[in-house]
Amino acid sequence: MDKWLDLLSLVDFISVGILLSTVAMNTLRRIESCVKAYRLNSLLLSLLIFITAFTVGDVHLYAAGALTLLSKALIIPMFLSRTIKQMKVTHEVQPYISNGLSLVISGILVSLVYASLSEGIFVTGFSKNVLQISVAVIMIGLFIMITRKKAITQVIGLLVMENGLFLAGFSLTFGMPTIIELGILFDMLMVVLILGIFAIQIKKVFASSDLDRLTTLKG
Amino acid sequence: MENNLIILVLMIPLATACLCYVSRGHSSAAGLSIAGSVALAGFSIKPVITAFSTTASLFNGMLYMDALSGYMMSIIVFLGLASSVYSAGYLEHELASGLTSIKGVRKYYALLHLFIFTMLLVTVSNNLALMWIAIEATTLVSALLIGLGVYKRELAIEAAWKYIILCSVGITFALLGIFITYYASFGLNAGQGMLNWTDLRAVAAKLNPATMELAFVFIMIGYGTKAGLAPLHNWLPDAHSQAPSPISALLSGILLNTAFYGILRFVAVVEPSTGHAFTGGLLIFFGLASMGIASVFMLVQKNYKRLLAYSSIEHMGIISIGAGIGGPAALYGALLHILNHGLAKPLMFFTSGRIQARFGTAKIESVCGVLKSMPLLGSIAFIGVFALAGSPPFNVFLSEFAILKAAADSGSWTVVVMFLLFASIVFYGMASGFGRMLFGCKDAAGCTNFSSGQQDLWDKAANAVMITLAALVLIFGLWVPDCINQAISACAAVIGAK
Repeated sequence: MDKWLDLLSLVDFISVGILLSTVAMNTLRRIESCVKAYRLNSLLLSLLIFITAFTVGDVHLYAAGALTLLSKALIIPMFLSRTIKQMKVTHEVQPYISNGLSLVISGILVSLVYASLSEGIFVTGFSKNVLQISVAVIMIGLFIMITRKKAITQVIGLLVMENGLFLAGFSLTFGMPTIIELGILFDMLMVVLILGIFAIQIKKVFASSDLDRLTTLKG
Repeated sequence: MENNLIILVLMIPLATACLCYVSRGHSSAAGLSIAGSVALAGFSIKPVITAFSTTASLFNGMLYMDALSGYMMSIIVFLGLASSVYSAGYLEHELASGLTSIKGVRKYYALLHLFIFTMLLVTVSNNLALMWIAIEATTLVSALLIGLGVYKRELAIEAAWKYIILCSVGITFALLGIFITYYASFGLNAGQGMLNWTDLRAVAAKLNPATMELAFVFIMIGYGTKAGLAPLHNWLPDAHSQAPSPISALLSGILLNTAFYGILRFVAVVEPSTGHAFTGGLLIFFGLASMGIASVFMLVQKNYKRLLAYSSIEHMGIISIGAGIGGPAALYGALLHILNHGLAKPLMFFTSGRIQARFGTAKIESVCGVLKSMPLLGSIAFIGVFALAGSPPFNVFLSEFAILKAAADSGSWTVVVMFLLFASIVFYGMASGFGRMLFGCKDAAGCTNFSSGQQDLWDKAANAVMITLAALVLIFGLWVPDCINQAISACAAVIGAK
């Protein structure tokens, strides 16, 4: 019983780490650091899955953890770094609002999520905190997407949202069947790949990697 | 036997895509693409017809086919064929005027058939997560196709970027909805979650209503974004106006409905536990919002492809209202509207692609006298415009009327009044926008940039496609064949109208 409790608090501890690494992205000035923060985020996510797999003793969870580690912590960050190099962008993230303000707003987002899900309709799988944290991560990811100018940072925001989503799915149901999870991860890999292609084209055609220029189509 | 045919139907577009990618010249690529679509149409007839009487299930229930899948599949296959025939002439023109290269053409055909494959996969997915994967795949493939838009590189890339970002964010929420549904099913099946639609449908009444309400909200946001329902429609006018015209036709005619098909499947799972008021209310809200926002934006459009895109939002709104009112009559109207809009909208995108090729612009003010200078195309466009505006005796009017009547019968007078108000604004918007282009000045030669084009074999084939579509729009407006009525009733029974 003691061991089980320890592991549970370990799970909470790691998910807080995921939340913190997401919040930290709000203050990072360089795109490369954002990619690093994303890698840390994904590493923690796969660590969380491995620990639960160890606790529950479920083989399919090991597979899910390995898949997450491979795609989210290795392949995608590598591809992002390569794209950033190819684009030769200036390394500043250039948010629309100041770091301080975006930190405050993410704080408000987190507390809003906690307030609205506090007496949630769920009796969740193994930890109530994990669900709240995952929804908070999704919200902050969305927030990062809408407040950054660079094409690549929008992609990172989307990826953070998806990490939050996986965390939510994991906390609710211990993940999907492996074959399905494989399909979802493949789709996400493709999204990143295609967005990378378009980001390079934006750089080429607009001679800028800022999304400010993408404002011709309106109304 | 049927099961093998279903697998074959899925394999044909994949094989065609590969063949087109390695083909040599334009004529061989176009020929292969058309041959692939014809083969697809031929082989899909039997599974589709069988689907209306019995269901088929394969790969441990991963894939599944019933009347609703068959109905959607037949529309996809038909429009895929129409679009690949039309594409041949369209691309030849682009090649001739140096807008694209043979490499682009190969990529285009390969992606077109890949796109058809992903949509077919959506219709036969029984596993809800597999359906999600397929819907996300449609986004990716069609985004690449939009990125091939050649009239203005920057705008095509901008549209594709917006499309893929917004739809991916939206669909992330849909996946959350699927996770929640999966979670809700755990208690009912001895600790094993269920993802197959057929399994969930069987226990739908016992699912926790509060959990399912939350799941449905996320699904509505997620697939609603993809289906172009307002206020989540921002990507749609850009993507549909910048894509190559044959692709716009597929995007508007069927892709939106493929996403809406995802919502319909979910309604069948959610409704038994939450009751009709909840799902119906949400669908009607999104439907009316779509009609309202689209009608206002249609009044101020200066670009005819964007005008058509907003008309798609309006028609998706109508379908959503029909599904929201529920009951056999309204569902009949909504499903018939999927078909009717799927005939009329591609028709208009095909004609507007032709107009754009001749006038070199998509601006309404720079096009005039189409009826005079291109009599055949002009009259086809005339039919399409008034069909989309919802005027009799065209098919769209019939299904709109069916939905309106069902709304009146169910006593939702607010819906009726708002529906009529928005529909009349839309009529004015469509008629004034295209009226000027069709009648306008006496002679198109007076317009700047008008180029008189020679018609070759491919163009004649494309004409045949447009004439067929126009004829169907007219015929279905006067008389809906009995087999279609029966097919739609079978589909309505699948979704739950007894």
